[in-house]
Amino acid sequence: MTEVSIERLTMDYGVHLAVDGISLRIRNGEFISLLGPSGCGKTTTLKMIAGFEQATSGAIRFDGSDVMQVPAEKRDIGMVFQNYALFPHMTVAGNLAFGLEMRKLPKAEIQSRIAKVLEMVQLSSHAERYPIQLSGGQQQRVALARALVIEPKILLLDEPLANLDAKLREEMRVFIREIQRRVGITTVYVTHDQAEAMTMSDRVVVMFGGKIAQMGTPAEIYDQPASVEVAKFVGQVNLMRMTVDAVSADGSMDLSGPFGPIRVKAIAGAAPGRSVTVAVRPEAIDLVALGEGRPATIVSSYYSGSLMDYRVRLADGTLIDVQTFPRQRFADGDAVGLSVSADRWWPLEINA
Amino acid sequence: MNARATKKRASLLLIAPAGLLIFFFLVLPYLTIVVMSFRVPGDGTPYAPGFTTGNYLHFFSDSFFLVQTFNTLMIGAVCTLVCLLLGFPVAWQLARGNSRWRGIAYGIVLSPLLVGIVIRSYGWTIILGNNGMINRTLISMGLVDRPVGLMYNTLGIVIALSHVFLPFMILPIMSAIQGIDPSLESAARSLGASRATIIRRIILPLSMPGIQAGCILTFVLSLSAYVTPALIGGSKVKTMAVTVVDTLVDTFQWPFGSALALMLAVTGAVIVVIFARLTRMKWKVA
Repeated sequence: MTEVSIERLTMDYGVHLAVDGISLRIRNGEFISLLGPSGCGKTTTLKMIAGFEQATSGAIRFDGSDVMQVPAEKRDIGMVFQNYALFPHMTVAGNLAFGLEMRKLPKAEIQSRIAKVLEMVQLSSHAERYPIQLSGGQQQRVALARALVIEPKILLLDEPLANLDAKLREEMRVFIREIQRRVGITTVYVTHDQAEAMTMSDRVVVMFGGKIAQMGTPAEIYDQPASVEVAKFVGQVNLMRMTVDAVSADGSMDLSGPFGPIRVKAIAGAAPGRSVTVAVRPEAIDLVALGEGRPATIVSSYYSGSLMDYRVRLADGTLIDVQTFPRQRFADGDAVGLSVSADRWWPLEINA
Repeated sequence: MNARATKKRASLLLIAPAGLLIFFFLVLPYLTIVVMSFRVPGDGTPYAPGFTTGNYLHFFSDSFFLVQTFNTLMIGAVCTLVCLLLGFPVAWQLARGNSRWRGIAYGIVLSPLLVGIVIRSYGWTIILGNNGMINRTLISMGLVDRPVGLMYNTLGIVIALSHVFLPFMILPIMSAIQGIDPSLESAARSLGASRATIIRRIILPLSMPGIQAGCILTFVLSLSAYVTPALIGGSKVKTMAVTVVDTLVDTFQWPFGSALALMLAVTGAVIVVIFARLTRMKWKVA
């Protein structure tokens, strides 16, 4: 049960600035994801929290006390590595006992804690196996158990699901999240997979180029992206250029363009005549009968079982991605109407 | 002919040259030695007609040879231990150090192998002798009155052999350490392990495959070494390998020399097998 606060944390490798003065407060028991493309500084940030990397400047506090000078082995963190990093020469029980032995706990307590955690990760019958005898998913659970058994202040996970196949990955998402909720431990999760970050986290921190691009709940990140970059990184998005017709006193603005006229929240710099980029998610667009909504033509379609993805072309040639349920089927070349409810438009930036 | 048989024939062809070489120059000579060790010693000739177990009885009834075998095994064991203690830290540095001196260090480690064994051993006689570098330095510093005996004894042999065989210990351990995932060290740290604990509980056991290979190489090479013990030990201290050659070449006792050679090989092999059993790694077998 620990609150983590990070202030103007910077990691300068000389040749490049890996983390550029980020500030972040992680609440007690919160599950936070650091999401971004490779090289965005998310892993470096995690390593600085863990104590494996010494920050160039800034501060990291656990429950208000500065840990910058505390070495990794004294920080009391549980870490799950991408490749699991299980000790190959120790059994599952041996791996779990390691951290407890470092804490010089009595044998009986070590045994009972191991038994409890193994039950939690559903590996009670595998205590005497060696890592090489376990499947990838089982190794993953041992890694999680090893990090949790020491009852650390904070749980850190570095792309823990990256090496698993798609089906197992989805199972493990739920599994990790449930255990985290049950234990109630403050958790930082590093991933480049936006679906993972969205489904698991209380809050998502999107990072680009060593800086925080946006921080918020998964819904905020998805529905109200702070920039074009964030909108594109988190899910699919249609970006459209429109023209500002009018800016109202109530904080909204009227736009016209390939899909106008529409009314959205006004953004800084909006003035009549300016060009603005607006986002709309593919699933926010409905395909309706021709005559209702904007006329468009189906260009191609992709069936994925639960969903149907269409690419459609507006009269002016603009290509738009639409996602619907497969109940509605159209053939390539069909003329359809597009309809978007007004609140699904999201203005991103004023174009130069 | 099916594809499998073709493949099998191709692989047989590939190992054939090495197989023939080993057969004609290792298996056949060994068989000759085994046969020779059961021949009757000759008078004025290398051996006489007929067969006997007398050579082995001679070996087991003469404490001189038993003691010498034991001493030779001890020299091998001590050399192995010395190489392990000296070599492990070097192997660790070579595997994990990232300084620009690594290349140079690597060269220094390999350097004993670049000089012929005779030259290297003569070099050690210059350093270890009564009038050698070490003794002159010690005397001039007033640390000792008389030269310390470093030549013509076991100590000198151990020093010279350890130097010669150190690379055979370092290289396998180095490659074992290089194969250890660095994130294991991070994991151990995050679980609260100090640097010393990480080395003791993670690095050391995981470099066991390299330690095992290095120890076996060093031990076997030390047992069979001839030139270095012959030059450093002189006529005062002899290892089994030296005695074998003396018996075969100087006193011309081919049958007995063969028996001695085989006894050394067998005891060495038994020790290697026991060592390999004791250091077997359960975690490597799935």
